Amino acid sequence: MSRPTFATIWLDGCSGCHMSFLDMDERLLEITERADLVYSPLVDAKVYPEGVDLVLVEGAVSTDEDLERIRMVRSRTKTLVALGDCAVTTNVPGMRNVFADARPLFQRAYVDNVTVNLGMPSKGLPHHLPKTLPVHKVVPVDVFLPGCPPSADLIFDTVMALLEGRAPEAASHARFGN
Amino acid sequence: MASEITIDPVTRIEGHARIRISLDDAGQVGDAQFQVTQFRGFEKICQGRPLAEMPSLMARICGICPVSHLIASAKACDRILAVRPPKVGADLRALMNLAQVVQSNALSLFHLASPDLLFGFDADPATRSIVGVAKLHPQLAMDGIYLRKFGQHTIELLGGKRIHPAWIVPGGVESPLTAEKRDEIRAMIPEAYAAADRALAWYKNNLLNWAEEAETFGSFQSAFMALVDADGNVAHYDGRLRVVDHDGTLLADFDAYDYADYIGEYTDEASFLKPTYFKPLGIENGLYRVGTLARAIVAERFGTPRADAELDEFRSRFGRYPSSSFHYHQTRLLDILYGIERMEMFLNDPEILATRVASHAEVNRNVGIGVAEAPRGTLIHHYVVDDDGIIQTANLIIATGHNAAAMNASVLQVARHFVKGERIEEGMLNRVEAVIRCYDPCLSCSTHAMGQMPLHISLVAPNGDVLDEVRR
Amino acid sequence: MTVHTLRIDGVECAGSADQTVLDVARENGIEIPTLCHLDGLCDIGACRLCVVEVQGSNKLLPACTTQVADEMDVTTASPRLQEYRRTIIEMLFVERNHVCAVCVANNHCELQARAEEVGLTHLDLANVNPKLDVDASHERFAIDHNRCIMCTRCVRVCDEVEGAHTWDVMGRGIDARVVTDLGMPWGESPTCTSCGKCVQVCPTGALFEKGRPVASTKAGRPFLPYLKSREEGGRR
Repeated sequence: MSRPTFATIWLDGCSGCHMSFLDMDERLLEITERADLVYSPLVDAKVYPEGVDLVLVEGAVSTDEDLERIRMVRSRTKTLVALGDCAVTTNVPGMRNVFADARPLFQRAYVDNVTVNLGMPSKGLPHHLPKTLPVHKVVPVDVFLPGCPPSADLIFDTVMALLEGRAPEAASHARFGN
Repeated sequence: MASEITIDPVTRIEGHARIRISLDDAGQVGDAQFQVTQFRGFEKICQGRPLAEMPSLMARICGICPVSHLIASAKACDRILAVRPPKVGADLRALMNLAQVVQSNALSLFHLASPDLLFGFDADPATRSIVGVAKLHPQLAMDGIYLRKFGQHTIELLGGKRIHPAWIVPGGVESPLTAEKRDEIRAMIPEAYAAADRALAWYKNNLLNWAEEAETFGSFQSAFMALVDADGNVAHYDGRLRVVDHDGTLLADFDAYDYADYIGEYTDEASFLKPTYFKPLGIENGLYRVGTLARAIVAERFGTPRADAELDEFRSRFGRYPSSSFHYHQTRLLDILYGIERMEMFLNDPEILATRVASHAEVNRNVGIGVAEAPRGTLIHHYVVDDDGIIQTANLIIATGHNAAAMNASVLQVARHFVKGERIEEGMLNRVEAVIRCYDPCLSCSTHAMGQMPLHISLVAPNGDVLDEVRR
Repeated sequence: MTVHTLRIDGVECAGSADQTVLDVARENGIEIPTLCHLDGLCDIGACRLCVVEVQGSNKLLPACTTQVADEMDVTTASPRLQEYRRTIIEMLFVERNHVCAVCVANNHCELQARAEEVGLTHLDLANVNPKLDVDASHERFAIDHNRCIMCTRCVRVCDEVEGAHTWDVMGRGIDARVVTDLGMPWGESPTCTSCGKCVQVCPTGALFEKGRPVASTKAGRPFLPYLKSREEGGRR
């Protein structure tokens, strides 16, 4: 019986949810005893593999590359957890959604707020979608873990439950912003 | 014939990044470009927000160093309110800042860089992770986890949360430190010292293994910038900004308020990150570095006994003004040791339990600038508010922006040294990533920080033929 | 005063004619979630969170504005009601810009608490993302319209308890906003007494004291029922 596999990725976030994941301290090794971390900031991987059992997704979907990446990850994973408020509700990255598109952001950052403008960032870079989206508006999500970030205990309990095939009870007691 | 190598993704800072390397007709590396591929527009979305909410909003720029943003932001707010926090308020902020310096530097060295250093830059990718380190060098892995936990738990005890604590506020901090919590932090210190000492011993014993990398990883002359205190010693919380040239010549010494006279930002068409330059020398010649290496070069001393002893040893080996970015790693360990020592000093001061921890005022000025040393370098927050305290404009210069030009130069240097002809060597990919890792760009624990990142490199001729291809 | 007997969730209760279903339910330990209701202010049934099923009616009735009647048979927590409550809170979230993580009321917010209680973990409805401002022209207080849920507690407390009637509502439907006087900046209001009652009764981070950082609003003192009872007890 092969061990379950799990992964973490992040899109448009601040990495705080990944730091909270690491905040489970030594318990991380408990998880890696139980399952193989096959793709993540933390381990070596060539490509996101097929047939991953569980993935934690941090961050909102803001660019065409985020979109492509999350669709690819969804197609290769059984259970997808939207980790943190950015993935669940767009949170702070979504504050830009009061504008019709990303242009006011670019104007402010690269024209109004530089000493010298040598050209707008545009070469070989991702394109911003008109609005930042939460993950579930793009692909089906199996478990939502709100929080900014969700606590290490919450993440640990949820991951262990899912790896052991139990319902992730802890997730239903999460709160936006907490 | 000319061609291009793309390393994609390289994820080291806010979001993801790529590296593009172009080869000239002779197959020699012509240019290299480090591209940051994430942009959220903080300088725009904060317009219209109330001043007092800025620190916690700005904290969301980064989940590894939110405390740095909280501090730089709160200090900018202090200036707008025209208040100085009570001494204990400033000390408590400094204490939390140091805890972050310890945890973030530990993350960078132990979780991210150590696999390369332990197993070698050419080692099997499958072992290069914290899991691999835990299996083969368990003490080192546990030391790294402990140092990170020490810093994070201190932050939690002070501010209620490990990540994005809302405790640092304009005028000071939200609540005082209790004796109980102070004792709990102090109890962790002996083991923290032990972990730091073990890591330093391991690192110094293995230096010879990395001699070639130490020579070529961003080894060029540049200016350096860091915050220093009144004695010219290392300072993370407050001080004056000092810029020195590669040989130690003083180039500038100024208060944060005057930063715009010395630091400019420009746009890079191929990156969302805005590089900075030292204005008196212009864009072409104005490259400078910030971070742990810069602090060790710009400052006279740390001002604490153990870190200074290590600093003396470091300087006797590599000189007073070493130029290689490889030494960011060792100076990162010194920063950790200093952090623990300074934290201990604060915790041993009975005044750290004083209860008046914040000053209060209304908006009294329309401009505020706050600066702090984040683990990876100087951080500046500059706000303009209207008379009601609503943010009109904000300018943020983050550490990785100061280092952007240096990172580009480093990638180019490593590529030129290791990329030869038309074949892509595996070791080249590792080393190109590894030199970026020296700078510990903001958000180092993004994808593939441990060991190896998935890289796809293809050597493509102008007519579109793929000459060589490597996937990791 | 006439006493009525009624059944709430199968529990036999008694209430006087001037009591609402909400009053009697709470007296009997039956919790019905609310947002616009506040003890000490008159009820208006704005948020509809407290809707209940009443035997014999095909409409859902707000418990806070429905007076008890004899033989009433009320259900407060059916699956349908729970789903509607979740939808109402979801609609409140998507209608404006609620970013809990960086809000002055984080962890002290009734909207956030209700969301947690009904198990709202994400928002399926489409976000509106209106561009709304902060009015910080008043010396001591400010309003962030992004966080307002139009409960109108501020309107009611300013009118019924302070007596100034500075706050009221302008506009209709999704464009409705609370405004000070005739829609001028709060700092220019000639009627506002700066008493701060509106700030104290606001369930979210919409109304706040200037200078308050994120996650710092404290729960207000329950001063309204006290003031109300003094008023009802007559002034000497």
